[in-house]
Amino acid sequence: MSDELKINVEGVGELAVDEDGFIEDPGKWSEAVAKHLAGTEGVTELSEDHWKLVNYLRNYYMEFNIAPMIRKLCKETGFNLKKVYELFPSGPAKGACKVAGLPKPTGCV
Amino acid sequence: MLANRREVADPGIDNALKKLTPEKIEAVVRKVFNPKVSARLKVYLDTCVHCGLCSNACHTYNSRDKDPRYSPVGKVKQTIWEIIKKDYKVDAGFIKLAARIAFVECNACRRCSMYCPFGIDIAFFMMTIRRICHLLGVVPQYLQDTVNSHSTTMNQMWVQQDDWIDALQWQEDDANMEVAGARIPLEVEGADFMYSVIAPEPKILAQLLANMSIIATKAGLNWTMPATDGWDNSNMAMYSGDFETMARVEKLHWETALRLKVKKVVMGECGHAFRGAVYDGPKWLSWRKTPIPMVHAIEFYYDLLKSGKIKVAKKFAEPVTVQDPCNVVRGRGLGKKLRYIMNALCADFRDVEPRMEHNYCCAAGGGVINCGAPWKRDRVEGNKVKAEQIKQTGADVIVTPCHNCHSGIEDIIGFYKLKVHVKFISEIMVEVMEK
Repeated sequence: MSDELKINVEGVGELAVDEDGFIEDPGKWSEAVAKHLAGTEGVTELSEDHWKLVNYLRNYYMEFNIAPMIRKLCKETGFNLKKVYELFPSGPAKGACKVAGLPKPTGCV
Repeated sequence: MLANRREVADPGIDNALKKLTPEKIEAVVRKVFNPKVSARLKVYLDTCVHCGLCSNACHTYNSRDKDPRYSPVGKVKQTIWEIIKKDYKVDAGFIKLAARIAFVECNACRRCSMYCPFGIDIAFFMMTIRRICHLLGVVPQYLQDTVNSHSTTMNQMWVQQDDWIDALQWQEDDANMEVAGARIPLEVEGADFMYSVIAPEPKILAQLLANMSIIATKAGLNWTMPATDGWDNSNMAMYSGDFETMARVEKLHWETALRLKVKKVVMGECGHAFRGAVYDGPKWLSWRKTPIPMVHAIEFYYDLLKSGKIKVAKKFAEPVTVQDPCNVVRGRGLGKKLRYIMNALCADFRDVEPRMEHNYCCAAGGGVINCGAPWKRDRVEGNKVKAEQIKQTGADVIVTPCHNCHSGIEDIIGFYKLKVHVKFISEIMVEVMEK
């Protein structure tokens, strides 16, 4: 088997992540995990706006088993693209989806 | 002794191997190797003199201290020749290694063909192995998921038609905030060109759609985009060995352009999509050529700048370098036009060494980045030479007119801790042009 990559989240314990740093089991996500993952993406504090975005992604994924279109994310949160990148400088897929515990979208990304 | 390759778990490969029998493998291999099916394979096999001059061309070989297993000739030796040596009687263990070599250790960038004295398309050997793997159901899981999306939705990211239209109209509104009257015209029959993009644009990088709207509006162009499926000309099936799906995607894309009666197709900043639409797709469909011409974004931007339809207000100041996407620079000879664009837009363009058709691969293309997270470390470790090359330019920004190059180089920058940002041409153009 591959050398398993893990993160150690305070109060939660060890969680397996993939080579891109996304958690392997989206079911193990929690707010504490989100805070830890945000740190790996250079987001040191999660504001109310961060949570709004993360929770939207999370709920959409739990319902549809896929990440939403960026259009839907902007429409439902009321944030424009610029604001999304301000909140998550590494972008909606590599940044926000990771923090929300989604798998990385497949495709040329 | 060479160290063993790192074990990587990939359910798309590992689970499929359990279902293989030696008989099943032999039947598929014989089918693919039939000289009546592939005269090309036979000619290449008969021509190669095993000289090894291709070795130094490969980034995976040069990045791993010249480990011979990663040389192009070494990859052929471990796969194609092994099949012949064993008289088509290879086992599941062989297929496991062959899949790894063909899917994730070769980017099909074809730099090696430039150094082969006979110009053999060595990547074609790897594509042949991928075809065998596909027919055996052995394909990296992430890559197969993308192919499944192509097969179901005719785009690579499961984008629904209403979402597609919604994304375009939304980005038209955003473009309007930059340039008054900006449009993304849908379904305009007889327009001068149809603009094609790949699914990551509406799905995630929607700002690139607004960029095109701003540029086309300012240049006064008569263009359109389709409101139906057939807008995505990316094609991961071309790289998974599923050539039937590959052909369906290309056929729908061209039929969409013909339905709109456009004079040509302009495509966004993607490399493999160009290859699929112009070369591999038509070939598999037994078309002599594309039904109407296709122009890559590099040629499109070059014409806009050269003709003065887009004028630069103030050049981009930061030091910038560039990546040459294999499928449009080595494959189509657009290296000089790319440099014309770089110099027209940037005050401090710093070229790479080696450059143009001799430039190193991004290590993401050829479907390799699409094999996903399990293979990421192998991919970035296999391109140390690219990290060193970028570092040497001293640039703060690297322009990549290809989505695969873009994501692949972002990963290299992250892994090797370079302080460089990756941008598409359109991002710089929109920033510096007269609006």
